Amino acid sequence: MRLGLGAKFSVAVVTILALTMAANTLYFVHTSSRFHENQLVERGLALGRLISLVSPDAILGYDFLLLNDYTRQLGSQPDVVYGVIVSAKGDPISSYVDECHPDVRQHLQHNAASGILELLKQLESQAELTRMEFPIMHNDVLLGRFLVGLSKQSLQDQFRRQLTGQAIAWSAIVVFLSVAIHAVFRFNVMYPIQTLIAASKRVGRGEHTAVEVKSTDELGLLAQAFNAMAEEVRKEQDKLYRQANFDTLTGLPNRMMALDRIAQEIARSQRTLQRFALFFIDLDDFKSVNDSLGHAVGDELLVATAQRLRATLRDSDTVARLGGDEFLVLVSDVENDIRVEEIAERLIRAISEPQHLGGRKVVARCSIGIALFPDNGDSIASLMANADNAMYQAKAGGKGSAIFFTEEMNTRLHDRMQMEQDLNAAIESGQLSLNYQPILDAATQEHRGAEVLLRWNHPERGPVSPAVFVPLAEATGQIVRIGDWVLEQACRNWTQWSQRGIEPGFLAINISRVQFRKRFSKRLAELMTQHGVPPQALELEITESVLLDDHTHVAEELNSLRAAGVSLSLDDFGTGYSSLSYLKRFRFDVLKIDRAFVHGLPGDPEDVSLVKAILAMARGLDLHVVAEGVENQEQLAFLTAQGCELAQGYLLSRPLDEASYVRYLDQRQAGVQPLQLASARGRQRRLAASA
Amino acid sequence: MRIPWSLSDLISPMLPSSPRALLMLLLGWLAAITAVPLRAADPPLVMGILPRFNATETTTRYAPMAEHLAERLGRPVTLVTSKDFDSFWRGIDEQRYDIVQYNQYQYIRSSKTYQVIAHNKEFGKSTLAGVLYVRKDSNITSVKQLRGRAVLFGGGEDAMIGYIAPMYMLLQAGLSKNDIKSRFAVNPLNSVIGVFHRQADAAGSGDNAVGQPALKNAINTDELAVLAESEQLLHLPWAVKRSMAAQARDAIQAALAELETSEAGRKVLKSAVLTGIGKAADKDYDAHRKMIRAVAGGSAVP
Repeated sequence: MRLGLGAKFSVAVVTILALTMAANTLYFVHTSSRFHENQLVERGLALGRLISLVSPDAILGYDFLLLNDYTRQLGSQPDVVYGVIVSAKGDPISSYVDECHPDVRQHLQHNAASGILELLKQLESQAELTRMEFPIMHNDVLLGRFLVGLSKQSLQDQFRRQLTGQAIAWSAIVVFLSVAIHAVFRFNVMYPIQTLIAASKRVGRGEHTAVEVKSTDELGLLAQAFNAMAEEVRKEQDKLYRQANFDTLTGLPNRMMALDRIAQEIARSQRTLQRFALFFIDLDDFKSVNDSLGHAVGDELLVATAQRLRATLRDSDTVARLGGDEFLVLVSDVENDIRVEEIAERLIRAISEPQHLGGRKVVARCSIGIALFPDNGDSIASLMANADNAMYQAKAGGKGSAIFFTEEMNTRLHDRMQMEQDLNAAIESGQLSLNYQPILDAATQEHRGAEVLLRWNHPERGPVSPAVFVPLAEATGQIVRIGDWVLEQACRNWTQWSQRGIEPGFLAINISRVQFRKRFSKRLAELMTQHGVPPQALELEITESVLLDDHTHVAEELNSLRAAGVSLSLDDFGTGYSSLSYLKRFRFDVLKIDRAFVHGLPGDPEDVSLVKAILAMARGLDLHVVAEGVENQEQLAFLTAQGCELAQGYLLSRPLDEASYVRYLDQRQAGVQPLQLASARGRQRRLAASA
Repeated sequence: MRIPWSLSDLISPMLPSSPRALLMLLLGWLAAITAVPLRAADPPLVMGILPRFNATETTTRYAPMAEHLAERLGRPVTLVTSKDFDSFWRGIDEQRYDIVQYNQYQYIRSSKTYQVIAHNKEFGKSTLAGVLYVRKDSNITSVKQLRGRAVLFGGGEDAMIGYIAPMYMLLQAGLSKNDIKSRFAVNPLNSVIGVFHRQADAAGSGDNAVGQPALKNAINTDELAVLAESEQLLHLPWAVKRSMAAQARDAIQAALAELETSEAGRKVLKSAVLTGIGKAADKDYDAHRKMIRAVAGGSAVP
């Protein structure tokens, strides 16, 4: 049973009062008992002295009747059980016995014939008797003794009655005091506490009502403290509520609040039979902004985006930040798709308005996926998934656009998921293979090595482009396993070829950023050791995406690879945001000019200028340069003329499967110029002559 | 409470002994009748009482008697109390009392100047005997066994019943005063109580002692035995001065003797704790004289 504070206090008060009263009673018992005993003794002394004083004459005169008168007078004295005057020899000569006394009566009943001395002897064992003896003297001669016995019984009875009365009175006092104290406690303590408890419960329910401070005592101070605490709790709850439901950076509702708003909107729209639109907005290349301009600028961009989105919409519409650079817009009561399109366009325009962030002019773009209720889903999950899918499609379709969700997107999504599953089985079932595209000396066309290219021959779909499945593998993490397979396969082939006496040159292998996160250098070292591949036989092609990740980790990995003697190549140079900064930050051996810059050579002045600049820079940084995508002699001639050291492309060789590449190597080693390369060389000569 | 212990004064009836005397009596009676108004002017009669009790108790008991006598005698009767026995005895010697009540021994000693006229009746009896009591468990069965033992007498050596009569029996048994250890209690009842409490081997008391409620209340009298008992002796005497006129003496005697016959007289007796007063003459105390002479010697008997 749970005892309340009031009950505990009352029990304590009653206990204390009862103990106090009990102690008082004990003290009373003790003192009263002593007092009564002393009183009894005093009475006995007085009687004894009196009898001793008056008895000598009677004894000397043998006036026993007078002695009897004396002793008989004892009968009028309370509590005297017996009074006996004995002679000097001890013979009783006068006595008084209270025959009503229980012990005496009992004795007389059983010993009617016995004398007074037997009675006295019998009474000696009675503790309730106070026995006293007084000598009766005359001229220093002992005439006799006066024996008196006084009963404590009546005193004890009186004392018992007093004690009972006092106990009743004290019990009444205890009850009265307990009730009074309980009432005072209840009114002065329990009521404020119960008020505080009720207020605490209200605070627990989220209702913030202050309690009335009625006093300046501790409870008043407690009430004040409670109010202060409740206020702090309210603030903290507000803060928590905001933290739980709002994005701290932009102040927009966060994902949780967005989901709640969607749920409310679904319910409302179901009642009103209205449609609403869900916009999934993702900033394009936001990571590049973060990396190139810093996170502070990235945050500024997010805040600015939030403000622009908010400013573009009605107050009744919801704008939320789902996380990272993802935003959600919920527009209720949309009449038709045209209206939704207009809103999407306004959002894109608003976001793409140039703005100055971190001292630089920035033009942000976004991709928007749109899902409509109830057309594209009647639940939060379906609407969110479909809008996200649409946004993904918008991003895949070229960014900076808005796309309505269609069922076809789900079909594609299902295809993608199927492809993920198929990719899992691709390695075991031997669907993956390696192709090798030779890299030649641009000037002499001597074989230097080959870029290892991954191919997937799907049993049903046929050859799947790496542009399709590699991003998928990277997105799902399968690239780690696939990349490892590529590395091992390349190492194994290189070793086999070497063992056959073929000089394969180096193998340039593309490394995904996902691979790079998984202690890549250690794994590579294991494979090189396992297959006996020298470090100079490998060149790792790293795209700028690898360098976007944790700089410290990337630098450590790159340093480990370089320390192992493996060449590092910066792939697709010039296509990213900060290629030059990467060159400054990280140490590379080779720089690969992206095919986009080679494509316009030698006719496109911009490409010419850029390639020249890249080559000049590479020379300055002591980097080898490989030009990708060399498809004609003019390009090769230009690059050769500009001092590009290595070239790769269809002009020199298409990617070759393993068998073809082995033959290619055999032919090169046998001094036979491959056909494609020979004709290309003829064209090169012609170009050189015309130049 | 003390038990009254007294012997009524015995007044001998004064019967006419001759015609002349009868004539004189008639003349006296006529003179008395005619002289009543004159007698009212007679000096008061002084009544003395043996101070067995304190003055207050004595007055309480005997004042009604004095008033009654005054009324009957037609002259004032003054009750005089004595502070102690000596002063009382001096009053006897000096004949200050016209009427006196005392014990038998005292009367015998003063019989030259006082004449007994009446005696007390107590508990309906005019006489009592001296008794020697012993405890039954004392194994004393004869007076002679008291030789060398302690005898507690009820009163002093002038106590007729408490001392003289018991001592007389001891003497009669062949013992002398020196053969016993004499002890004296304040009265005969206490002597019996003393023996009961083994304060002495025998008690000298009266035969009426064991019947006294006071004694019965004090001790278990069944534990006592009578060792010896004297002849019956008349109770305490009332005496008047021998010099008192016979008319007055006789009037007093008649007044005392007639107390039992009237309601007023019974009230007086009750107040004095007596059952009656009978007439007595000097010869009624001869037995007393014999004992006194034996115990106290011839000088004690005038």
